[in-house]
Amino acid sequence: MTSKSEALASFVESAPPGELITVTADIKAITGDNPSTAEALGPAFQKYNEEQFATVKLPGASEPVIVSSHNSLGGGRYYDVESSSEFEFDHTTQKASAVQSYVLESKHADLVKSLLKSLSTHAAEHFPSSTLGVYPAQDDLGVAIVLVANKYSPNNFWNGRWRSLYVFTPASGSLTGSIKVDVHYYEDGNVRLLADKPVSSSLSADASAPEITRGVAAVERKYQEELNRAFGNLSESAFKGLRRQLPITRQKIEWEKISGYRLGQDIGGGRSR
Amino acid sequence: MTASVDPFDSALDLLRRLNPRDTAANIERLCALAPTLQEDLLESVDVPLATRRCRQTGRDFLCCDYNRDGDSWRSPWSNEFEPPVEDGEGVVPSERVRRMEVRANEAFDVYRELYFEGGVSSVYFWDVDDGFAGCVLLKKSVPTATAAGGMKSSGSWDSIHVFEAADRARTAHYKLTSTVILNLGGQADALGNMDLSGNMVRQVEQDMPITDDDASHVVNVGKMVEDMELKMRNLLQEVYFGKAKDVVGDLRSIAPLSETSRDRATHREMIESMGGR
Repeated sequence: MTSKSEALASFVESAPPGELITVTADIKAITGDNPSTAEALGPAFQKYNEEQFATVKLPGASEPVIVSSHNSLGGGRYYDVESSSEFEFDHTTQKASAVQSYVLESKHADLVKSLLKSLSTHAAEHFPSSTLGVYPAQDDLGVAIVLVANKYSPNNFWNGRWRSLYVFTPASGSLTGSIKVDVHYYEDGNVRLLADKPVSSSLSADASAPEITRGVAAVERKYQEELNRAFGNLSESAFKGLRRQLPITRQKIEWEKISGYRLGQDIGGGRSR
Repeated sequence: MTASVDPFDSALDLLRRLNPRDTAANIERLCALAPTLQEDLLESVDVPLATRRCRQTGRDFLCCDYNRDGDSWRSPWSNEFEPPVEDGEGVVPSERVRRMEVRANEAFDVYRELYFEGGVSSVYFWDVDDGFAGCVLLKKSVPTATAAGGMKSSGSWDSIHVFEAADRARTAHYKLTSTVILNLGGQADALGNMDLSGNMVRQVEQDMPITDDDASHVVNVGKMVEDMELKMRNLLQEVYFGKAKDVVGDLRSIAPLSETSRDRATHREMIESMGGR
């Protein structure tokens, strides 16, 4: 049997896009809104927010910024390159406060800034709504590109999230990372699409921001085409193999004459698979 | 604020949101957190069906709360519990209801073969005050196989149809609640991992004629389940392969958005010019 904190952490980790608040309210209604629940939820919220690339608007700002392990300063503080600021993030309320100016110190500072420009143009062309962050990574040997796109439609019972993470290493020209897609549909049911794909691509060493952006665009396009094809393949293979739409005769069963069908006895049904 | 919320409703809402692949494990977690919810959760939340072998007939049957007595399950093929119930006999249906149950199991065995071409079916009936009730269970799994484009795919389908039948003069009133649990997975180098899983629930009530006593019940339940599964299969197809794919397209557009908005503007201009302005 798992402990209470493990159980609550697994609930939070499995919360669908845009539904963390409802999941949390459910948890509190079940366990009671008490200190031991809050204690268990705190670390789970931090893990969720950092892994899901939570977005938050800094006080007075119009565009949201990303919260992730890639721009964490420790102690609940995160930084944003675009607005040259650092801030405190409350993982429970998802609010930012105590904003201070932040000066990026990195030998890749120029690449980070030019990547923000060229990637935001790319993002605007393919994501109706997305938030982007670029940060020095791997002890300043590389840069991390973090992108999250959310679309929530709770009135129509669906929510979705696309996450991209890439690390570019200028010395080798390698671009590696992952794309994750999470879709939840919950009208009279609970249907979930969880897709993830590790990606890697070789660019030239010290590639320019536009070249890296083209690399990202190519990887994403290929993946999305592959994912679209996979829907068709799953429908044609596994789904069709489970249950026919109609019997092979293309007619519904004549239940009044069901004892006349000899199939059942002839093949000793019920024993296979 | 949450003081007035029923913990059971919250548990159901939670299970409707968390990954449906993990429903069985999440029920266990919830029962450990709030033991008072255990009985209601086990009764009202459907999980993929377990299979057991009937020792008397050698045939597989499906297990659910309705054929369970402690840690034993009644086989629809022999009417015996597997493993035998330790104290006493275990609850079995009355003679009349058992006769219908035998007939229904034969009928749905044919149904299973015609629609699923494999898998396992089990039907359980039990007596209630003004008639009888029952459940029709169907399960099929397809093991991992390589599909088009080198993709490895696998899947499982579990249908759980629970109904009540109330006898009236020349008709009977049926209330049917159907759940289908459909789990699909795909894997390939270019795709990575894809899991498309979940469940959908539908209800229907219907009055149907009774012409031949108990045989009519089996015919009526058969028709209702067949219609319901056809509807649900179409619905699942729409949600899994239509809606889910559309949402991905809403998150990210393969075509550049400036092109699509330009196309839309051109389209609008064309329509306006055809309007003669």
